[in-house]
Amino acid sequence: MTNNITNEQKAKALAIISNTNDSKLETHLNACVRCGLCASSCMYYLTMKEGKYIPARKVDLVSSIYRRYKTWQGAMFPSLFHARELNQETCDEMVDSLFGACTMCGRCVKHCSIGVDIPFLVKKGREMLAVMGLVPKTLQATVDAAVNTGNNMGIPTEEFVDTIQWMEEELQDELEDEKSGIFLDQPDKNVFYTLNPREPKFFPLSISAMAKIFYAAGEEWTLSSKYYDVTNYGYFNGNNEEATQIARNLYDEIHRLHGKRLVLGECGHGSRAMRWEGPNYLKTQYDFDTLTVVELIGEYIRNGRIKLDKTLNSKVVTIHDPCNLVRNGGLLNEIRFVVNAAAANVVEMTPYGTDNFCCGGGGGALAMSEYNERRLKIGKIKADQITATKAEIVVTPCHNCVDQLTQINHTYKLGITIKTVAELVADALVIES
Amino acid sequence: MSWYIWTSLVALLFCVVLLGGYFVRLLKHGSPKDLSQKSGNIAQAVCYSCIGAMSPMQKESAYLHLPTYTAGIFFHIGNFLAIAVYLLFTLAVIFKFQIPIESATNLIVMILAIVIFIAAVCGLALFIKRLAKKELRDLSCADDYISNLLCTIMLFLTTYSLLTLQFGATYYIIMALLFVWMPLGKIKHVLYFFFARYHLGFFYGWRGTWPPKKAIQYDK
Repeated sequence: MTNNITNEQKAKALAIISNTNDSKLETHLNACVRCGLCASSCMYYLTMKEGKYIPARKVDLVSSIYRRYKTWQGAMFPSLFHARELNQETCDEMVDSLFGACTMCGRCVKHCSIGVDIPFLVKKGREMLAVMGLVPKTLQATVDAAVNTGNNMGIPTEEFVDTIQWMEEELQDELEDEKSGIFLDQPDKNVFYTLNPREPKFFPLSISAMAKIFYAAGEEWTLSSKYYDVTNYGYFNGNNEEATQIARNLYDEIHRLHGKRLVLGECGHGSRAMRWEGPNYLKTQYDFDTLTVVELIGEYIRNGRIKLDKTLNSKVVTIHDPCNLVRNGGLLNEIRFVVNAAAANVVEMTPYGTDNFCCGGGGGALAMSEYNERRLKIGKIKADQITATKAEIVVTPCHNCVDQLTQINHTYKLGITIKTVAELVADALVIES
Repeated sequence: MSWYIWTSLVALLFCVVLLGGYFVRLLKHGSPKDLSQKSGNIAQAVCYSCIGAMSPMQKESAYLHLPTYTAGIFFHIGNFLAIAVYLLFTLAVIFKFQIPIESATNLIVMILAIVIFIAAVCGLALFIKRLAKKELRDLSCADDYISNLLCTIMLFLTTYSLLTLQFGATYYIIMALLFVWMPLGKIKHVLYFFFARYHLGFFYGWRGTWPPKKAIQYDK
């Protein structure tokens, strides 16, 4: 439960939905007709079967406050138009629904009979909660770590450098070439590569997999030892200042090292936050090329810079489409191009692509341990999708998805292997001596 | 001209001024400002958003709920037709021109009346569904019921008026109430719907998601 909302908090929150110059905001705040048909597109509702999980209810949490304070009919006749006071009760409901029951995957948007951008409004609601200081502490701690240390897991630079050096030695042993490496803080490189901090912390092999691909492609690349974190949980906590700061870390670092291309590591929301939202946070157009690692690998394959033998990956592979890369990022075919070049037997989930269900780990859900039970419960949908494919390997270009899928794998005893795209491609690499 | 026709015209003016105001304001705001590097075609995506993406085959809200979807489509068609009927017959009164319909058995009138009657029944069904389903009831507010009822009653009255060729006080009063409610309640989605489709097209078009690309077949 939150404490009573002060007038100052209320004023700050209402300012978020008072932007009178925003056509998109005004449109979506007024467009929902509460038909409730979005329910069957939301994994929370499909799993829980409770009215509070219907996406339209989440929209209504934000739009009812807008009607109460920003429309004269709502102010005069609140009960006629369901115009709600912004008070403690509303805020508690908003925290539970907008943070705890929505991954902002956007699946409901495509299927909405009107076309209301539901995650856009959920994000606005999160922004309102953020300015009131009502972000769940667990999520805020993740953002604080990124703001204070440069990465969301608070990995000290020395520890990161040690991990990288260890992986580099392993790589050189494997490739039997001392010129191969995982390069840190190298200026003027073509590729400035970024990582999800889960990689150095838990999955260092995915770093060496990508290093192997860079080696095979003859790429000139570097990581920063300080600002390598592609994630941006500031996008999820609704605090735009913090999101801007995190985006600025990478923006400044690529300039410091004179990198030519910012390559976003395998992270759905991080790619979205840096590629699509970043320039708007920073209020500037990038003066460097920005692309995801999937697109870069696709480029290597097309240009013949790497050779793959798909028979080296002969097990049945299925793709989990990260919402922020496919539905909200346009990479549907590019992911398929790369995965099909690297694996001999690829099957699709039903549904897949822009209709795919979120794994359940998006929207900052992985960081909010208070909702763990709910998160794993909704993961049943993904577990069933995977089981139906009979795949042995699930590949996904997103480390948060990998984390959630790993937990789903354990919870529902799927017996599958989960890989990133780089890991799959590295396994199929043909490196000529 | 009767007082009730005047009343409906004043209400229509109120509706047009308010909705027109919203429309102009939204247009003035313009498209979202996006500084990221565009990767798709906005115009094509907006077209897709308004046409292809609205196909019932593309929407779970349609193909998983066919009875509701069908009722909704008829309901909307009926509403637009009924408003067209109002405008036609009211203009005929104002400008004193004769609509070339001699009797209610005229084929066009009959077809119109049947379509609008079906729409009215669909509206009633949607109203009952909203009342009957707990989750939908919990989601609803007075506006949802008032908006539906006004439209449904208007559709029944239009059917009756067409079949009798008598547009009386009750008909015009209901039209007036509908016009007053339209820009205040959720019926204003008649305007916001189109802007919502535009913004979706803009969003997905910018990122290259819409229009959807054809799936590539890969050799096994």
